[in-house]
Amino acid sequence: VLVLVRSPLPRLRALLQRCWGQLERGLWPGVLGGQSPSWALAVQGPALVPQGINDAGESSTEAPSLLESILWMAAPKQRRTIEVNRCRRRHPTKLVEMKRNIDVCPECGNLKQKHVLCGYCYAKVKEETRLIRMEIHKKEGGPFNAPTVETVVLYEGEKPTEKDEGKRIIERARKRPSWFVQN
Amino acid sequence: SGAAWARGLLSWARPERWLASGSFFPLSCIHTSTSLQKIGKWEKKNRIVYPPQLPGEPRRPAEIYHCRREIKYSSDKMWYLAKLIKGMSIDQALAQLEFSDKKGAKVIKEVLLEAQEMAVRKHNVEFKSNLHIAESQTGRGRYVKRVRCHGKGMFGIMKISRCHYFVKLVEGPPPPPEPPRTGFDQAKEYVQQLRNRTLVHTL
Repeated sequence: VLVLVRSPLPRLRALLQRCWGQLERGLWPGVLGGQSPSWALAVQGPALVPQGINDAGESSTEAPSLLESILWMAAPKQRRTIEVNRCRRRHPTKLVEMKRNIDVCPECGNLKQKHVLCGYCYAKVKEETRLIRMEIHKKEGGPFNAPTVETVVLYEGEKPTEKDEGKRIIERARKRPSWFVQN
Repeated sequence: SGAAWARGLLSWARPERWLASGSFFPLSCIHTSTSLQKIGKWEKKNRIVYPPQLPGEPRRPAEIYHCRREIKYSSDKMWYLAKLIKGMSIDQALAQLEFSDKKGAKVIKEVLLEAQEMAVRKHNVEFKSNLHIAESQTGRGRYVKRVRCHGKGMFGIMKISRCHYFVKLVEGPPPPPEPPRTGFDQAKEYVQQLRNRTLVHTL
């Protein structure tokens, strides 16, 4: 009985070597379906007899074990040529698609995607918000000091109106930006 | 594979790299390969000078060659972006790269902007938008093999790959895309091939 298995994975190879060693030593009675292994040494003695009985008993009922089915794993038969590889890698579905949803932002003139905010304008707003938050932090002094009233941001030269009666006022020392519309 | 690995290790130890920077010749103006490693072929393409054009000839469009070496990215993955850009105008290419999610897109965008600036400053290009991408290629850079640990004491060998990116900008609007080959074109070519057949080795 000759079973030749060559697998490239070192882990599988080590496992198979272990299995083969166990087979040779006769530790798997049920693998070859009860056939007497032709390579086994002719050892006389009572030690093998109970194993022989186990052989006859188990061979008919034991299903092919997982370790036996390892010898029939899927493996590539031929090396894929570079032509075949190129056909697969350069197939139109694998190429990067051109985006057709890019527009020009009317505010700043940078490019933006149609369904996404303009990156430049968003960064501008984010920076101003950060400075306003720093002012708020300076006014509050610490955590858990947020008042229960609304907040109004006033820039240089602006006075609080009648609508801003009970609200907290945050001063910013710069001209009002054009995109921050006052109520 | 062990022999190939050893060869790869030894390849960086080329003796010419370790020569003293001053050459043995008394003339110090001779450039040896030790200075600045090696100027690649793509960089040298910018140095060619054409003879002045005759009055009747059509104007030769300006060509700008630019490249970036040893980008930490895989050349196969970079190839997809290079293929996307091929044949586009530079503005369109920059727009596509800006909103691409790939790591190489940022690198290629920098390269294109550098090349555009080079074109305006040094290569006598009038309008920076009047450029299109004639060629964009990737090349394989130096690879390094490293050990990647798996479970149970097993290990695999991974390769840390780098790539080069080459681009050629040409002045002028992008050429119109070729119409796809229809069945009618193929049939016409086939009939033409049949008509071209002659008798050989005869009078």
